[in-house]
Parts: sequence; structure tokens; C-alpha cells
Amino acid sequence: MTMNSTSTLEPKALKKLGVMSDVNVARKITNLTSYAVLIFFSALIVFPILWIISTSLKNEEDLFALPPQIIPVNPTLHAFKQVWIDHPFLAYFRNSLLIVSIATLISVSFSAFAAYGLSRFKFRGHGSFMAFLLASQLFPSIMLLIPFYKIYMTLGLVNTHAALIITYVSFTIPFCTWMMRGYFNGISKDLDMAAQIDGASRFRVFRSVILPLSWPGLAATTIYSFISGWNEYIFALVLTQDEEMKTVPVGIGQLIGEYRIDWAQLMAASLYALIPLTIIFIFFNRYFISGLSAGAVKE
Amino acid sequence: MKSAFKKRESRSGYFFTLPTLLIVFSLIIYPLGYAIFISTQKTNLISEWEFVGARYYTELLTDAEFLNSLKISLTFAFFVVVGNFVVGLLLAVILNQNLKFATFFKIILMLPWLLPEVVVALIWKWLFNPTYGLINYILNTVGLIDSDVSWFDSSTSALSGVIFVAVWKGYPIVMIMMLAGMKNIPAERYEAAAIDGATRIKQFRHITLPGLRPIFLVTCILETAWWFKHFTIIWLMTSGGPAGATKVVSIDIYQQAFGNFNFGKAAAESVIILSILLAASYFYSRAIRDDNE
Repeated sequence: MTMNSTSTLEPKALKKLGVMSDVNVARKITNLTSYAVLIFFSALIVFPILWIISTSLKNEEDLFALPPQIIPVNPTLHAFKQVWIDHPFLAYFRNSLLIVSIATLISVSFSAFAAYGLSRFKFRGHGSFMAFLLASQLFPSIMLLIPFYKIYMTLGLVNTHAALIITYVSFTIPFCTWMMRGYFNGISKDLDMAAQIDGASRFRVFRSVILPLSWPGLAATTIYSFISGWNEYIFALVLTQDEEMKTVPVGIGQLIGEYRIDWAQLMAASLYALIPLTIIFIFFNRYFISGLSAGAVKE
Repeated sequence: MKSAFKKRESRSGYFFTLPTLLIVFSLIIYPLGYAIFISTQKTNLISEWEFVGARYYTELLTDAEFLNSLKISLTFAFFVVVGNFVVGLLLAVILNQNLKFATFFKIILMLPWLLPEVVVALIWKWLFNPTYGLINYILNTVGLIDSDVSWFDSSTSALSGVIFVAVWKGYPIVMIMMLAGMKNIPAERYEAAAIDGATRIKQFRHITLPGLRPIFLVTCILETAWWFKHFTIIWLMTSGGPAGATKVVSIDIYQQAFGNFNFGKAAAESVIILSILLAASYFYSRAIRDDNE
């Protein structure tokens, strides 16, 4: 059948067709390799995560069964209940949510404000400020740990929510500003002009014209800031001392230091810690990827 | 007229940036200066304050143990950054082909970035568990090993182990950055190359790689800084062991400060780290500037 349909074509066209199908074969092979690579790496990511779930569903005996049970033989939700009873995870979650939400709110509002200034106006120190924002990523956070600890000690803030809120703001504000500036740069300045001709002040332009257009960028910064704070470990470890002041990562990290590690509870706690992240990720994933990179790409 | 406009422009600029500038000054620049001050003191931060000048610096730079920590930090950061770029770039190139299900794979491949470092460290600690871990079980089953391996009891495998886990956690950022960079390369360049008969590999070498250079450099700076000062994953997996084989400088600083209460020395170590990072970024930024010219 193929012979019939091609035989009517001229030799030149025939040759062209042959080349085309070679290209198609090559493309198919590349695509197959691509899928193989994607599946390989996805498996490397998915299996450990499934192992978290599997471990969290095991009872104490099955945890240490040999050979390891890939799928728990006697699945139980025991660890998910017990972890709240054996450890003050309720307090950990309350602390984390409170600290991270407030820090995120502060960080995002201030950085949006500053980013608008950086994106729209030229002024002395503009370039150095931009350079500093990037350079601040270089400072070893551990370097700030000692002075922060001393300053909080002097102010009587060790072991308070305020200390961690301030710390997380200082961590996220530079990168948030950088991301938001990239986003604002993508919004045409003509809009500002038009609004100003209509008599709006610079602040009005920012608040009523530009900001409402920027919510994908704001969403991205919010996610970045929230995730950074939610996952932060070492400052929370040093700056909180009482059990009821600790955050989720510190609480989980503490379980691993215990003499007899209860892996099922550890994994259950980890899964609880992932809930807010998963919710955020599901809703904002799209904006996040574009927003995160906007700051880096657009100059 | 023009200068009045300029003046108003810069006043608005300051108006918008000032609040953040103040925060940055009081929360980053002032503490940094304070850290440098502490590094010249023999202090427990409470009662004891004794000026020792540059003593800790001279001590540290001749201390074999500290220099060894520095070497471990460099090795760790180097392999993690290289690993992140190899994996991140490879996946970005594939995802950029707009295959079917690309979004689905992208979401899965992003997941490690989302997971807290604490969770990443402990799931791998559990997977690497010599007796009950899944990894030894699988390797045993397929016949790659015949007895249980204690991954974190030997110094080379411990360091390789934390590097592997750090790459598992760290490549998604590079992947996203590179994807964003590729989206920014004009499609016409590829079309023109295709008309000229350039193969995909040639297109990658002569269009994609040069096009990625700016974002590549920025990501390189950030990645180097992030992993050079990394603490959490290593601390939770090995606490710096066995016998100091994974004791990066961050862990040394933490133990020096909050274990030995030798805050001055710890601060001096952190200032040394900062100097190294600043020097490294100076060379990177030179490269970026050369690009722009």
C-alpha cells in the first residue's frame, strides 16, 4: 500500500520523504530516551516519598521486620495518633504557622514596595543595593547566628516568636525583593505613565494599578518566603529552648536524636509537616515556577 | 526642568526602597559587623569579653583540623554543585522539548525542593540504615553486595552519601533556573539553525549553552554559596562523623559556639567562610560583567 502511494511521486520528492522518515525515527529514539531519563529520575524521587508513607503506616514489629516490608502487612494509623500524644506537635505546628505567616506577610509587603522602587526609579545607590541583595545570599546564615543570638539575648528575645519572625524576615527579604523586581520589570511602564497622567500619585499607581496586576509574582514570593521559613532548622534550633516554643523542623529533628528512634512516628510527623507545603504547591505551582525565575532572568 | 524631574524620580526611589533598606541594614549589615567584632574577642557572650585581636584568625589558619574542615566543605560544595548542574541541566533540556506529560514530570521532579531538609535527611538516614534500610536490602537482592554495608561508618562512603542526598534535594532549583533561561532564548535562533541543517546536539552546544550563560553564572554563585555553608542535612545524618569525615565548617562553627561556648573563635571561622565566598563571587561577577560588555 505504501509502495502504491509513493510510486506516483517523483524521485526527488521520494528522496525527501525518505529523509523525513529518518528524522522521525531519530526523533522517536530521542523521545524514548528522554522518557526513560524522566522516568528514572522520577522513580528516584517518588520511591523515598512512598517509603515515608509506607513506614508511617507500620506497627512497631513490622518496622523492623526482615526483609523490609515494602507494603506494610498490618497497616495502622497508630503513629499518626500517637505522635500528637508523645510529643507536643500541636505546639510545634502552632508556633511554625504563626511565625512563618507573620514573617511572610512582612517580607512580601516590604519587598514588593522596595522592588517597585528598584524597578521604576533610578537613584544613587540603586546599583549597589541590587548587588547587595544578591550578595546577601552569600552570607553564611551561620555567620548571622552568633550576632543574632547575642542581640536577642540582650533584648530578652531568645525563646520568643519575635526572634524567629525577625530572623526569617532577614533571610527572605533580599531574595523576595529580587524576585518581585523581576516581576515588575515585566509590567509595562506605560501603565504607570497613563495612571500618572490621570493624576494618580506614585503610591496610588503602585497600590491600585501595579499591585493588582502582580498577584502571580506576589504568590511566588509568598510561596518562597513561606517554604523557606517553614523548613528552616538551625536558627529555630538555637533560638528556642522550651518545648512549647519549638517549631516543626526542630521537633522532627529532635525525634531523630532519641535513643530509640520511632521511625513510624518520625515519618508520620514528616507527612504532617508536608501538608501546608502540599496545599500551597498544588494551588500556586504554576506561578511559583515563573515567578521564581523572573527575578533571575529579566534584567 | 530635567534636573527637577530627576530629583523627584530619585526621591520616589528612596521612598519605596527605604523601609527595606532599613531592615537590611539593621538585620544583615549590622549583625555582620557585630560578628566581625565578636571574632576579635575571647567571649562567652555574657560575662567574659577580652580583646584578642587577630589571634583566632592566625590560630585557625595554621590549625590542621580547621583547614581539613575547610577542605571537606569545599569538596562537599564542589560535588553537590556539579551534581546539581548535571542533573538539573539534563532534566531541563528534556523538559524543554515539550514532550507529552512534561508538566506532570516537572511537578514530580520539583518535589525534593519542597521537602524540608530535616525530612530529607531523616528519610535517607532510614533508607541507608544498615540492617533495616531499603537500600541494603535492594542491593543485597540484586547481588551488588553480599553483607550489610554501614554507609555512614566509613569516611569516603559517608561523604559520598551526604553529597548524594544533597544533590537529591538540591537539583530542582537548578532545573527551574535553567528551564527559565531556555524559555528566554528566542525560538527564531533554533529555526534559523534548523534551516542551516544543524543537528540537535549542535543546536544545544551553539545556541542553548551560550544563551544560558548569564543565568548559569548567577545560579552558580547562589548554588556555591548555599552548599558551601550547608548545615542541616549533614548535621542530622552524620553530626560530622565518622571521625570528622563529614565535619564541614558550618558544623565546626556550631559546635565551637554552642558546644564549647567559644563564640569568638566560631565568629572568626564564619568571617573566613564569608571572605572565601566573597572572593569566589568576585570572580563570578567579573565573568558576568565581561558578558555584559
